[in-house]
Amino acid sequence: MKKKFNLAPVFFVGPHLILFIVFILLPTIYGIYASFTKWNLLGAPEWVGLDNYKTIFFDSTSTFHTQFFRGLRNTLMFVVLTVPLLIIIPLMIAVALEHKKVKAKSLMQSILYLPGLISISAAALIWSLIFNKQLGITGNVFGSETVWASHQPYAWIMIVVLTLWGGVGGNMIIYRASISGVGQDLYESADLDGAGPIRKFFSITLPSINFPLIYTFVMTTAGAFNVFGQPLMLTKGGPQESTSVLMMYIRKLAFGSGESIAGMASAMAVLLGVVILIISALQYYLMNRKSA
Amino acid sequence: MKKKLGALLTLVLVMTTVLAGCGGKDDAKTITFWTPLTGDDGAYMDQLVKDYNATNPEIKVKHVVTSDMYTKLSTVLNSKKGIPDLTIIHADRVPGYVKQDLLQPMTTVMQAQPELKQDNYLPQAWSVGNINNTQYTIPLDIHSSAMYYNKDLLKEYGVENFLDDNVVTFDEMMSLKGKLKQGDYVVNDALLSWVILAQIQNLGGDIQQDGKPAVNTEAMKKAIESVKKLNDAGLLTPQGEDGYLMFQSGNVLFSTDGTWSSTAHAKVENLNFGVTNVYAPSPDKFTNRASSHLFAMFKNEKRTEEKEKGIAAFLEFIRSNSMEWAKAGQIVASKQVNESPEYKNYIQSFFTSDEKETKSLYIYTYEYYPYVAEALDTYVSDLVRGNVPIDEGLKTMQKYVEDKINEN
Repeated sequence: MKKKFNLAPVFFVGPHLILFIVFILLPTIYGIYASFTKWNLLGAPEWVGLDNYKTIFFDSTSTFHTQFFRGLRNTLMFVVLTVPLLIIIPLMIAVALEHKKVKAKSLMQSILYLPGLISISAAALIWSLIFNKQLGITGNVFGSETVWASHQPYAWIMIVVLTLWGGVGGNMIIYRASISGVGQDLYESADLDGAGPIRKFFSITLPSINFPLIYTFVMTTAGAFNVFGQPLMLTKGGPQESTSVLMMYIRKLAFGSGESIAGMASAMAVLLGVVILIISALQYYLMNRKSA
Repeated sequence: MKKKLGALLTLVLVMTTVLAGCGGKDDAKTITFWTPLTGDDGAYMDQLVKDYNATNPEIKVKHVVTSDMYTKLSTVLNSKKGIPDLTIIHADRVPGYVKQDLLQPMTTVMQAQPELKQDNYLPQAWSVGNINNTQYTIPLDIHSSAMYYNKDLLKEYGVENFLDDNVVTFDEMMSLKGKLKQGDYVVNDALLSWVILAQIQNLGGDIQQDGKPAVNTEAMKKAIESVKKLNDAGLLTPQGEDGYLMFQSGNVLFSTDGTWSSTAHAKVENLNFGVTNVYAPSPDKFTNRASSHLFAMFKNEKRTEEKEKGIAAFLEFIRSNSMEWAKAGQIVASKQVNESPEYKNYIQSFFTSDEKETKSLYIYTYEYYPYVAEALDTYVSDLVRGNVPIDEGLKTMQKYVEDKINEN
């Protein structure tokens, strides 16, 4: 019998596939090509081979080299500071919300998720006022004399606090959905065996939400590498460029003042992409192997 | 199967039609006018365009506020599709665009409307669009840095005399060292790089020498050192604090900012403020670092002669009717507007009140000015605050600009 061609998947996947090709795949391919060129966006790209990469990696006298590695170091700092917290805190909240004695779960979940819906600019404005010594809560209510944005580690603390405020809710919802799907019979059996809450968490809950955990870990890390809005709005990359992250520099190169240096910016973007790819693959491999 | 295929084709057809609609078509009776005016000023420009269209011109103007306009311009100029008929660009972009042969001279536009001529505009705003005796732009305004002062605070500290000659000097500000209440400051650090660029002119320096960037210079060093003295004396608002908001909350005597901020200050209740020149070493030489919004036409084969006449008519309307633009806090470039009695109601009229003031408006036209400004924006705050030694910072800034130029 001749097999009928099923059009339904085309309707579901087609639009997404078209958008993916037009807005992600083709620009990515063009970005990789641009990274081998000298290009100011206005004229035609001029092929320079590996020159951009050589400058970034080996020309230590070049501003591009200095800024790339400074930006990468600061980005890594952000990743290290925020990713573990964006995994652990939402997990703890999700577990706590599942407890029988906790009331108004949906309300609490909504309150925690709400900051994630606010644009990063608006959120940064709110927090910059909170941390303002002269006008904000820290100075007026708590009497803090610290000018947060211009001193470390306070500048990083501001950025981390804003990131957690906006980012905890999303992961928390994923964990809650996963935890609610764990079979109650497992917990009942554990109760019969006399297991305490900590034991149940490590022996039942955590292994049961293995895949959501890997997913959030990988996605949160990739997202953290793309950090841009928080340092831009709160600290403008300061003090002394200690919070100037790579995405800020790439954007400044590509679309900042004067003529664009799009070739070099593309090379840096490609390198950032490679770093994210390697780290995500490593995370996935390690966590998957551990859970196997 | 046939039904499904039919549905699929219909969907494709609908999507194609919708997407084609999004692209828009080149209407021969519409002037597409791109501006980067994403703030309140966009609304004022909208009103001007609306007023012009209400005169029932043969060709109407369609105002498109475009965020990231320069990036989008690169895209359309590259593809040669969708190039706007008319655009507002900033003064510092002109040399680069002319060098790359992207701008069409305003010759035909000026021929169509003879009043679009040098004599009818502020000289600086007109001349920034003139390269090798060819006029590439028609000015809309000068937007300058300015210094606002809090009248109540000046009275409280008994220093109203600072304004006697309309120039507050470094020495006058330093005289307040140790005399301020806790939480009060003499001056904020908003638009700090513009303040430094003004001081370079005050000190007789420049940002270029023979076409090459001159950032690591004595004038730059002196300019930074003089502002650093204010910081070291505790008179500058702290780094990382919003000095602009602190001025609005009544804790800062002087606020260096743009003329356009007057509209926001005016909305603050009980803020009794005025405007004067940006501080300088002496009253003999003072500069207000400025830029200019300019009307420009990018080269486009599809732009007809008829449309160019329409553009000329629109620009002539703006020249004679742009009082609306003063509401945005800008120094209107048209002399007909800025010399009219009504214009005196606007605070920025101070900067065209006499010849000396008009001459104080300085627009940098160096081709690589944007890179110099970017370097200043990145590093100058840390230099003024003493976080980085000035000599080391100047070398870094010089290299920053040179590397960018070499990569272009």
